[in-house]
Amino acid sequence: MIAAPRLRRLTVDERRSLRTALPFIAPWIVGFIAFTLYPIFYSLYLSFTRYSGFGDATPVGFENYTHMASDPLFWQALGNTFYYTALAVPVGVVVAIALAMMMNQNVREVAFYRAAFYLPSILPLFALTFIFIVLLNPGFGLVDYVLELVGLPAVNWLGDAHWTKISIVLLAQLGAGGPALIFLASLRAVPSELYEAAKLEGAGPIRSFYKITLPLITPVILFDIIYGTILGIQIFTPAFVLTGGTSGGGAYTTGPENSLLFYVFYLYKTAFQYSDMGFASAMAWVLFVISVVLAAGIMRWSKGWVHYESG
Amino acid sequence: MALVPGRGVQALILSFLLVAACSTGGGTSSAPPLAGCNSGTKIALFWTSHTPPDTDSEKNIVDAFNKQSNTTCVKMVAVPGSETDIAKLTTAVRGGTGPDVYELDRFTVAERAAAGVLEDLTPYGAANMSGNYLDFAWKEALFKGKPYALPDDTDARVLYYNKDLLQAAGVTDLSALDMSKGAPTIDTIRGMANKVNKKVNGKYTVVGFAPRLNQGWHYTWGFAYGGSFFDAASCKVTPDDPKIVQAFKDMFYDWSAALGVSDLQTFESTYAPDTPPLPTEQDAFLTGHLGFVISGDWVLAWLQKYAPNLHYGITYIPVPHQGDQPATWAGGWSVVIPKGAKNGSGGFEFMKYFAGEPGQRTYAKETTHMPTLKSLLTDSTLFPGDHKLFVAMLPVAHSRPALPVGALYWDQLTIAQSAAEHHSKDPATALKEAATAVNAKLQQYCPLAT
Repeated sequence: MIAAPRLRRLTVDERRSLRTALPFIAPWIVGFIAFTLYPIFYSLYLSFTRYSGFGDATPVGFENYTHMASDPLFWQALGNTFYYTALAVPVGVVVAIALAMMMNQNVREVAFYRAAFYLPSILPLFALTFIFIVLLNPGFGLVDYVLELVGLPAVNWLGDAHWTKISIVLLAQLGAGGPALIFLASLRAVPSELYEAAKLEGAGPIRSFYKITLPLITPVILFDIIYGTILGIQIFTPAFVLTGGTSGGGAYTTGPENSLLFYVFYLYKTAFQYSDMGFASAMAWVLFVISVVLAAGIMRWSKGWVHYESG
Repeated sequence: MALVPGRGVQALILSFLLVAACSTGGGTSSAPPLAGCNSGTKIALFWTSHTPPDTDSEKNIVDAFNKQSNTTCVKMVAVPGSETDIAKLTTAVRGGTGPDVYELDRFTVAERAAAGVLEDLTPYGAANMSGNYLDFAWKEALFKGKPYALPDDTDARVLYYNKDLLQAAGVTDLSALDMSKGAPTIDTIRGMANKVNKKVNGKYTVVGFAPRLNQGWHYTWGFAYGGSFFDAASCKVTPDDPKIVQAFKDMFYDWSAALGVSDLQTFESTYAPDTPPLPTEQDAFLTGHLGFVISGDWVLAWLQKYAPNLHYGITYIPVPHQGDQPATWAGGWSVVIPKGAKNGSGGFEFMKYFAGEPGQRTYAKETTHMPTLKSLLTDSTLFPGDHKLFVAMLPVAHSRPALPVGALYWDQLTIAQSAAEHHSKDPATALKEAATAVNAKLQQYCPLAT
């Protein structure tokens, strides 16, 4: 077992360097304290109060947390969010790896393909959502038209509660270009001699993929799962845009049968529509705890299947 | 080489002066702050979340105000928001960059006042203006007996019908829809509407009547069935009133079952989606996809502008039984001064104009909404054609309870409505859950002062 190194005292030179450096990074330190650290702890305080965002906060102890446990919308929002994340993360990993493999083909036009596959990722999600709405229209949308053309039944993607979350999972795949670039880098880092050796031993491309490629890119898969999970449980924008984000304007405030009431969407509505910052802060802290637990769980689970070359 | 300190300080002072000059526009104090304003006036910032064609009219009111005011110059800005979503306003007010005047849905005034977002208008003398406005509209502008808003418009809901669609479907006798005979029954409308339904390739392209579309809200049908949404004595919301439960069962649960839950969903998603709504010119009634629709007086302006050749008629919202009194409800907006307004007095001067005779006269004429000023309701020139039918309904119109949890209540009712229409819950269970969720929040404000 290696003992942790003891912290040694700084030398005179090092202390002088620190004194010189601190003013230079002071703007960042001040910004971090004022705009990140302070709001984080202030929201923890607010989570134990009743506060509209104006006037004084009234301490209410653990009331916001106990109310959360008995609030059916909280559980529905949590359920919707987990459902979405559980679907979006594995689908996202598969799509990103597939895209990366297409980008990794040894063809002359590969640069063009890489740009074409990556392009949707840099478009604002807001704009993509609007395009998606037109594509998914059950009356004149392209997707249902194609489904019916091949003999499949048309789907009411955004009007039927069973399909709304799946629609958003599909929409999320338009952003797969980002993770695909990371997978591409990891694919290119796989030593080519491994493939050559496998070929000599008679392995085909599928066997090479499962026996060489996949094990060697597992660290990146782990990264993508954790990153995707953290983004997934914070899903907000597509639901906000799809539902009009309002209550008076749209009949289904949060999608048919509340199917698009995601956790952060409910948090937003609680804070800004119902002026209940205390409850919203408590929700934010519960989400933080959930994120930490999920990330830790995934890390623990990954020990069984992630392959580190150095390890 | 060392910088000469004196020159450095001079440069600093000079740059400060330059920035200061730029931030004030670099002009003289007597120049108008904005084009169309008078010299020497001070800017008042007005935010609205309305969209065209309403904002076109609001811009006309602002321009007319700026022309005649010697103290205030109003700058109108359209901002994101809705009836119940004021995220943009609350964050701006907390950041000290809020407007001087904001247009707020009137049924949420009590809620926003309770949250501390709004200024009490008593110091501006608003309390003395109570007699000018319709009683229900003024009551919606109060919180704990103090005025927090000036009501600037109102509306009422009716049943519109497309004469061409009905006649093409063989419904030639429209005498049951004659308003002089009172409100038609729901059975009468159902009988007519069923003949209008039309499917192509298994999908509805025309639906006779989808009760929830447009303004067929929970409140609309609850009032039509004689339901009560709030019990002042116990300080509790009562969406589980048996009459409201019956309204939900008949108009949402059973109606969608008759048309086919999934088929109706597909029709609505195609021609009248909520996710997100289509532009006004593509409204399902204006484009001939609905035989009947519940909507408000503002549709008269839409019809003129977007569907001038559509042959339509108007009648009362249908009632459950022959001889029942017709029911409608009136909503509307208001203007408020948010907390921290930098030019509150200028803002109030504009509010008096906007929600006063000049503003409401223009708005009523250009958008076919109704004024909240009693003095204007007797001016028949403001209500040409069918618009006067709406004015006649105002004295008996219901209004939504003005509660400090108005937005939450609306959302919960809408969730229950969605559940009933999609058969995911029976109406009684869905409305009971709405009552539980809202009453839990409402209790912190009880007892409510009027």
